[in-house]
Amino acid sequence: MKRIAIFGYSIMSVAVMTRLRDDKYQLLFVGQDEQEAMLMADQGFTSQAIDFRNDDELKAIGIGRDIDVIFCFFPADSDNVFLTISARALDASLTIIAVVDDPESADKLLAAGADKIIDPHEICGRKAHEMLARADISTILDNTVFGQHDLNMAQIEIPPGSFLQNQAVSGLKLNANHNLILLGVVDKELGNGLHLAVGEQEHWLAEGDVLVVLGTAAGIRAFKEEVARVSGG
Amino acid sequence: MPARLLVYLAYFLASSTHYQHTKQFFYDLLENPNSRMKAYFDVFMICLVMASVFLLIYEVDTPLTRMDMLFEQAIVAIFILEYLLRAWLYNDCHKVIIGYHEHTQYLKIPFRSTKALGMVVSKKIDYLFTPLAIIDLLAILPSYRPLRILRVFLIFRLFKLLRYFDSIKLFTEVLASKRFELFTLLIFLSFVVMIGSTAIYLFEKPSGNPQVKELFDAAYFTIVTVSTVGYGDITPHSTGGRLVAMSLILSGLGVFSFLTSILVSGFNEKMHVMRENRTYSELKRHAHYVIICGFGRVGEHIATQLAKDRLHFVIIDTDEKNVQEAKQRGYLAIQADASKNDVLRNAGINNGATAVFCTTGNDVVNVYITLSSRYLNPDIRIISRANQEHNVNKLYQAGANDVIQPFAIAAMVAAEYIGQPVAFEAIQGILRQENQSGMEAVAVLPGSALVDKSTGELDFAQRKLILIGVISSHLAHQRHKNRYRVNQQHFYFNPAPHFVLQAGDLLVLLGRNVSIGHFRSQFPGKKHRP
Repeated sequence: MKRIAIFGYSIMSVAVMTRLRDDKYQLLFVGQDEQEAMLMADQGFTSQAIDFRNDDELKAIGIGRDIDVIFCFFPADSDNVFLTISARALDASLTIIAVVDDPESADKLLAAGADKIIDPHEICGRKAHEMLARADISTILDNTVFGQHDLNMAQIEIPPGSFLQNQAVSGLKLNANHNLILLGVVDKELGNGLHLAVGEQEHWLAEGDVLVVLGTAAGIRAFKEEVARVSGG
Repeated sequence: MPARLLVYLAYFLASSTHYQHTKQFFYDLLENPNSRMKAYFDVFMICLVMASVFLLIYEVDTPLTRMDMLFEQAIVAIFILEYLLRAWLYNDCHKVIIGYHEHTQYLKIPFRSTKALGMVVSKKIDYLFTPLAIIDLLAILPSYRPLRILRVFLIFRLFKLLRYFDSIKLFTEVLASKRFELFTLLIFLSFVVMIGSTAIYLFEKPSGNPQVKELFDAAYFTIVTVSTVGYGDITPHSTGGRLVAMSLILSGLGVFSFLTSILVSGFNEKMHVMRENRTYSELKRHAHYVIICGFGRVGEHIATQLAKDRLHFVIIDTDEKNVQEAKQRGYLAIQADASKNDVLRNAGINNGATAVFCTTGNDVVNVYITLSSRYLNPDIRIISRANQEHNVNKLYQAGANDVIQPFAIAAMVAAEYIGQPVAFEAIQGILRQENQSGMEAVAVLPGSALVDKSTGELDFAQRKLILIGVISSHLAHQRHKNRYRVNQQHFYFNPAPHFVLQAGDLLVLLGRNVSIGHFRSQFPGKKHRP
């Protein structure tokens, strides 16, 4: 189970914690003072107040030990930059997601060691544009993949010795055999870009490649099991 | 009998569509500021006016040939026709007669044709005395041969340009708006001239100045001095006259400074209107565009995306700084309150606008703009921003088609990233149409070759496309599995090869833009816009 720490009380932190509560994550809210911690505790979340500028207090809550992900949701970009630098120094493998208020701070956060920058205004602007330009696609994805329906996206990494190794992407036929749509493949050796399943060049799968699929939870689970089983056997 | 004929004629014209269309045509040609025809006509008339004035100059030392005369007569004929058409368009005579007829019917008094005709003529006379109509007449009259003495008045034709140049119209509007100040200045100037002329006459005449023989010479000297021109043909000889001249020079400087400041302030006041009008004129050139209310961070990103798609849009914001920022980026922007009906109307909510984005940071304002937009146009697409979750339903109630919550969406992005960052980034990349590929909905239009074709027959892999699913409300599909209800339709995920397409279905395809474009061209149909 992943341990996640969310720093800073804001609409974003409440929304993220509410969204992740349903999943099997262990959440910890970290406030700057007792009042913030109390507000979150009232909503049923595990909360704690610490001084994020103190590395010992960061270590005490588990950073560098058992915290896998932190969200930096302080209102001030400078606080988020400071927290990111401190956390990255304590744990090089920690996943750090930070919110940005001023777009100019995004590069500073990335330089400080953040893995993902969230700019709510940019995301909202893109979403609004998407709703206008590709309303059907936007509605379908919102209602299915990101909504309540049982249609999900998944990333499946090809393990060592998998039966998928050295197979051509065009020969997988996941739609016919597993009721899954293969969107594409991420070949980590070539970067993090997605190579569409219908590219100009045939892609031969290799260990470590990540398949990005859409499908029902059952379909994804069955395929994942198959990939794991065959590779195990 | 003439009365009945008059009333019959009036009602006949009121009900005649041919008459209405003809009048509308000439209105669009001569008066309608939004008509493209009027723009062309104005240019044509400007050319005619300039040509006629050049002919007048040419005529000074060269006799006109027969062709020149014919040309001049043709121009005058067009001017006369234009004058008559404008008089005709000024008001509807039949409406005056019908109004009078209904009035007599209601009061049970006899209908008198002379009175009715008198009312009609009276209205037309009103037109004849409007400034622009007088200018039009002055441009025509000097061409009449028995009135050749008026030939010099042909120069009045240049005033006709007032009709066709907006900037000249603006200048006259500025003068009109500052008429009180200008009138005050004129009175002061008249006093200065009167006192100055009298004083100069009283000082110079007795001193034996040969240049000032009568009061007119003194008045001439005063005006030349006050205007700071000072030809020097008349000069004061007496000490008193010189003191008066000095006073006149100082007064003249004051008067012209005052005049300049009046005109500058008048233009300043009109500048905002001028800029807005320019924006509206630019907007009218586009058949379809989007209105963005609020140019904060969200509005800015929407504008960037729309600009990337080469879609037209106009920004409305109350904040001067935001409007300046938008203009610096080359966007059309208006500094106004988008919750005002007039602002939205002027921005074309009922004309060219296809969608409205309400993206201010204030939910109260967004609700109000949404409500105003929906009230003005029941069919327009409205996408609103809700900063607080409890305001989402209020925005839907106000008439929004879609509501976006920045922090909820950002939270969703953050949360999804935790689980499957690679898959999530991949989907986001597809939605952003990175690497010239993306997901698009392609409509199956009635009569298209796609109708009644099964998805298996279409062989999407061969076309380098991935069929994600089909959106449809068609009952024939309901037996298929992988069906998800979305709003009033169903989304059929990964349809089986025997899934037969129906008119009205939407294919959700993934692929390179070029593949999707090629598919569309093979099965002609328009891009679906809900």
